[in-house]
This record gives sequence, structure tokens and C-alpha cells, in this order.
Amino acid sequence: MLKKLWVLLSLVLVTTMLVGCGGGGAGGKLKVGMVTDMGGVDDKSFNATSWKGVQRAIDELGIDGSYLESKQQTDYATNLAQYVNQEADLIITVGFLLADDTADFASRYPDTNFAIVDFGSLGDNVRGLTFSTDEAGFLAGYAAAAATKTGKVATFGGINIPTVAIFMVGYEYGVNYYNQQHGTNVEVLGWETAANDGVFVGNFESTDDGRRVAETFMNEGADVIMPVAGPVGLGTAQAVKERGNAWVIGVDTDWTVSAAEYKDVILTSVLKNMDVAVFDTIKAVQADDFAGFNGENYVGTLANDGVGIAPIASGAVPAGISDELEQIKADIIAGKINTGWAEYSASLE
Amino acid sequence: MNENSKDTRRARTWGIVFLVFAALMLVLFLPGTTGSQRTTFAFDLELSEALPIGSLTFSTQGGLYLLVVLAVFLGAWQLAKGFKQVYLILGVVVLAFVLAFLTWAARDNSMNMTGMLQATLLRAVPITLAALSGVMCERCAVINIGIEGMMLTGAFTSALIGSLTQNVWVGLFAALSAGGLMGALLAVMAIRYKVDQIIAGTAINILATGLTSYFSSRYLQSIPELNRPPTFVQLPLPVLSRIPIVGPVLFTNTAPVYLMLILVAVIHVMLFYTRWGLRTRAVGEHPQAADTLGVNVFKTRYVNVILGGMIAGLGGAYLVLSSVARFDENMTAGRGFIGLAAMIFGKWSPIGALAASLIFGFADSLRTNLAILRVPIPSQFLLMAPYLVTMIVLAGVVGRANPPAADGQPYEKQ
Repeated sequence: MLKKLWVLLSLVLVTTMLVGCGGGGAGGKLKVGMVTDMGGVDDKSFNATSWKGVQRAIDELGIDGSYLESKQQTDYATNLAQYVNQEADLIITVGFLLADDTADFASRYPDTNFAIVDFGSLGDNVRGLTFSTDEAGFLAGYAAAAATKTGKVATFGGINIPTVAIFMVGYEYGVNYYNQQHGTNVEVLGWETAANDGVFVGNFESTDDGRRVAETFMNEGADVIMPVAGPVGLGTAQAVKERGNAWVIGVDTDWTVSAAEYKDVILTSVLKNMDVAVFDTIKAVQADDFAGFNGENYVGTLANDGVGIAPIASGAVPAGISDELEQIKADIIAGKINTGWAEYSASLE
Repeated sequence: MNENSKDTRRARTWGIVFLVFAALMLVLFLPGTTGSQRTTFAFDLELSEALPIGSLTFSTQGGLYLLVVLAVFLGAWQLAKGFKQVYLILGVVVLAFVLAFLTWAARDNSMNMTGMLQATLLRAVPITLAALSGVMCERCAVINIGIEGMMLTGAFTSALIGSLTQNVWVGLFAALSAGGLMGALLAVMAIRYKVDQIIAGTAINILATGLTSYFSSRYLQSIPELNRPPTFVQLPLPVLSRIPIVGPVLFTNTAPVYLMLILVAVIHVMLFYTRWGLRTRAVGEHPQAADTLGVNVFKTRYVNVILGGMIAGLGGAYLVLSSVARFDENMTAGRGFIGLAAMIFGKWSPIGALAASLIFGFADSLRTNLAILRVPIPSQFLLMAPYLVTMIVLAGVVGRANPPAADGQPYEKQ
């Protein structure tokens, strides 16, 4: 019996040691803790980008920053509690799915500052960091429609939540705008704003799902695919790379840098500069005249470079498309073009 | 007499079930269609060696009526005379129903059937391997909840070793060894120390998740050279790969896929037609009796559980070396647990496990196609499809599935 216990105990100890290697602390500095969503801090997606913002603050502002990874949804509250107990000055939660737990902790600990990526403010002491990703998705959709040779472009998501769908909404509107401007009939597979539904794999982890969905899209004739599902999209990139006659559109960061092995098949990337928002928030809290968030929101747009698209692969689209995209960007900033957000939010109600 | 009337009643029930399917097709699919609509099923895949056969375009309503008539005919025949192979006919009726569904879903549109069948098999591969791992362990009465963890370990090892050596076979071998090691760990805990097997398996899952996540984020993600394994190339079988539909689906695959199909056949034959199989099953059903007759219960269990671990490792290696060419945290995403369900669904037999996994794979690939065709069913419901199918089939067709009698009980030598 004792032996059994030892075996189990040692297993559990080793595991917790390895899993819990996030923390660290020093006195005097601003203490910032980041709680990730399930993809983990190296998801090459929103967790990784947010963490990049904290890292930049560590380097440039000399703060004391650390992260805790959530392996499942029940970890959110545990990780938040850990930072509250460590008396962190600012707790950053990454992702729409953490909203409930963040709101709960923010109301229980009104003296702690919170910031949540991908959600609006949840109280006086919470800063919401949101992004008008539909604006950037619109540009990507326009580029995709210009690049397709089959007349079909595709997109799919991890789970149907607004922060994922907003990419796809902009994408569809961008394709439609291209059709309007050029008299073409490019079709979008995998998303329909009017129905508020499309192709979803149901998770943000299974790269194999990303590959299989990509193969199905290509078998149905699509030759540009935008996966909005974190690391799952890397499986898509692998399938496209092997097939060799299609394009992938990266999301969140510039994939020609973060997933360089696939750079030959990456048409462009929809950039959602969460690192800028996170850094900006840490800087605000560290400032001497910081007097609480008062429930404010940071909204990343094309205008403030909170969102954007990466350079388009050379030779992928006809000359002149770049100029058109510049013009469209200016028009979106000026409010002359509808990127679909209003229709999408209406369909949610 | 009593037996006989029960049989007639059952035969009649099936006849009515077939007619209900026919009625459902009429009610569900026909109202939304018009006479001018056409459905197209494509059969050719790009970059495939198969002889092109073009695609089939037909009137949506015509196709639906044809399928309804088929189901009505089968139902009526069953009521009047009765079929001997009633499950086979049930299969035909269900197939007709699915085809009617697809005919309706692809109205004024097209869908690639060969592509969907190919995705079905490829999605079924890791699930089948997980289920086979479960069969190996449970047939000798060791419950293996740790398949998920073993697959994850296999995936991680194949990515790391594959990247270091740039050789797929070395990567595969490493995954088999790592899976085998995890199997050995489970075996030692379950057999030597008689730890509750559910807890031991759970410990393996936690250990594997923790270890692979840690080393992945510490090394694989920051040093790309450690996470760039080569992948298996497709090996089209000569002549066979040129057959339309069947060629691209069955005979144009990578080595791990063929290996999976061979494993299913070999383990099935071994388990039910060899002395080793008889001994394994005896150890699973009644270890005392087996021991009395001179079978080494402990050795049988150790060997089987380690082999089971290796098969799970192969499942993980498939995901990396034959699919996505990289490791990411938790990339198995529950396939080990789905595999366990497939094992039970397939009544602890390798062929049954393959059949069950194919149903899961089909449901998975079907929902992608349906979502592309914009079928007005919410994606959340489509995601439920594999599980709904399982419940219906388990309750309706498979009936009671009995695990090996001694499943989960540690053996104490008297």
C-alpha cells in the first residue's frame, strides 16, 4: 500500500513541478500576471502575442511579469486566484472565454487592476482590450478574392464565438466588395454572416482537424483558406504546402515570421496587434499619474494600427491590388465602407 | 411457438423501421426542393492517379424519389417475407437515408464524394489505433484510460526524434518505444503495485500532458529545428491506386495508414484464431482458471499492455509524421478517449473497433461537408453528430456490450 502511494505521489509531484514553472517574483517592481487561455503561451496566436507585449514591458519598462497557463476552463479561476494571492498589480486575462471569471474576480477584488484581451470592460477596475478585426479581415478577403484562380475562397474557425467570427465576417464582406468592384463572382466557403454560422472544428488544439478541413476545402475547389483557430491553422498550412497550389491566410501575427516553414504558401496575415494593447496597458498602470482604469476600453483599429494585414506574397495578386487595398484602408478608416460588424452584431441578438 | 412469434414480431418491427426511414426522407428532404434543382456528386480528386470518371449530375427530386422507393420496397418485402440478413438490409436503408440527405444538402450545388470518403478513413486512423490499444489491454483485463497520454507521448517523441534524425522511420520507432515505455509504466502500476487502474491511467494522462507541454514550450516551440520532422510520403499501390473512388481512398496512402489496416487484420486473427489469443482472452475472462492451466497471467498482461502502449504511440506518431509535421500541446485533442468509446462500440474486437472508428470518421467528415454546403443545422449540432450516432447505434443495434469478465481487476496469485 505504501509503495503504491509513493509511486503515485512521485508522479504527481514531477508533473506539478513541470506544469507550475510559470511563476517568479521580486519586490518593488510593478507586478504583472498574465493568465492564458487553453492554447498555451506558445500557440503562435493570441496567447503568444499577448505574452510578447508583457515581455516587451519586462525589457523596456523593467516590470516583473509572469504567466500561468490554463489547460482547461476550470484553470481560469485557479490561476486568477494565484495572482490575486501574490498581490499582482495588474492581472491580464487572455481571451473571450475568460470573461466570466475575470468579471467575478474583478468585483471581489476592486483594488486590483485587471485587463482582458478580446472583451469589453467588465467593471471600473477592468480595461477591455478589443479589436475591430473585421476591418483587417476585410482587407484579407479582398486580397483572397484577387488571388483565387478557382473562384472559391474558404475560411473556418475554432469555436463560433464573436472574437473568432469577426475575422470571418470581415473576410466575407471583403470578398463581396471585390466582387462588386471587379464584377466577379468569387464564392466564400465556410462562413455566412447572415446565418451566423459556418465551418468550425470545435477546438483550438487539434492540428489534424485543421489539415482534414483544409483538404476538404481544396477538394471542393477552394484555393485560399483562412483558418481562425490558433495552432489548428498550422495543420492547414501543412496540407496546403503539400498540395502546393493554394494559399493560406495567417491570423493574429505575421505567419511568414512566426511559422516561417510555411512562408511559401502564406498569402498574407490578418494582424491583431495584441502585444501593442497589452504593452500600452502595462505602461498606463506603471505611469505615476495612473488613477485607475475607470472602466475604459482600448479598441484596436486600422486607424491606430491595432489591426492590419501583413505584406501580400509577391506575385500572388495582380499589380494594382496593393493600391486598391491602400484606398480601401483609407475608406474604412473614413467610415465609407461597411465591414460587416453591424450586421453581425444584429444577428447575435 | 413463443420463440417463433417473437421472431415474427421482431421481423415486423424492422419492416416498420425501414418504412419510417422512407417516410422521414419524404417529410424531411422533399418539401425544400423544386423540380428544376440538380445535385452534383463529384468523384475525381486533384493530383490523384485514379482514372477520371467525371461527376454525376441528376435531378434532386428524381434522386430522392428513387431512394424513397428503394426504402419502401425493402420495408414492404421485410413485412411480407422477411430478409435473412436483416442488419445488412438495415445498413442499406441507412445508407439510402444518408444519400438522400446528401442529395438534398447538395441541391443546386456539388460535393466531392471521394474526398469525403478519403477524409473518413484518414480521420478514423488515430481513433482506430487508440481503440486497438484499448483492445490489447482490456482483452487481458487491464483497463487503459491512459491511451490519450500514450498517444501524446508518441506524438512528441516522433516530432523530436524525427526532427533530430530527419528520418521518418527512426521517428516512428522512437514513438513506438515511448508508447511502449508508457505502457510498461501502466503495467507496473496496475500489475505489480495493483494501483486502481482508472487512477493509474489518469496519472499517465496527467504525466504525459505535463511532460510534453513543458518540453514543447521550453524547447520545441522556441527552437524550430527540433519541431520540423519529415513526413511519410504517399505510397500509391500499383494498378490498384488507378481504380476510381476506391483507389484514392484505400490504395493511395502513407505507410502508417496501411500499417493500421494490417494491424487490425493481424490482431483480429491473432486474438480469435491463435493460441496466444486464446490465452489472452482466458486471462481476461478468468485469470484463475488460466493460471491453473499453466498460463503465466502476469507475463501475458505485461506483454499485452506494453504492446497496447506501442500501438497508442503509433497513433500519436501518425498525427505528426503522416499529418501535420509538427508537435503542438494537446494535439491529440481527446482522440484517445474517443478510441475507448470506439473499442466498447466495437465490442472489444479489432474489426469492430475499425468499423466504429470509421463511423466516427464519417460523421466528422460529413459535418465539414454539410457546413460547407450551408445546411441549415447549427454547427454546434453538427459537432455533436459523432456522439449522437454512437448513442443511437449503441442503443439500437449493438445492444449490450459485455467487457471481458475480469476487466479492471488486479490478479492475486493464490
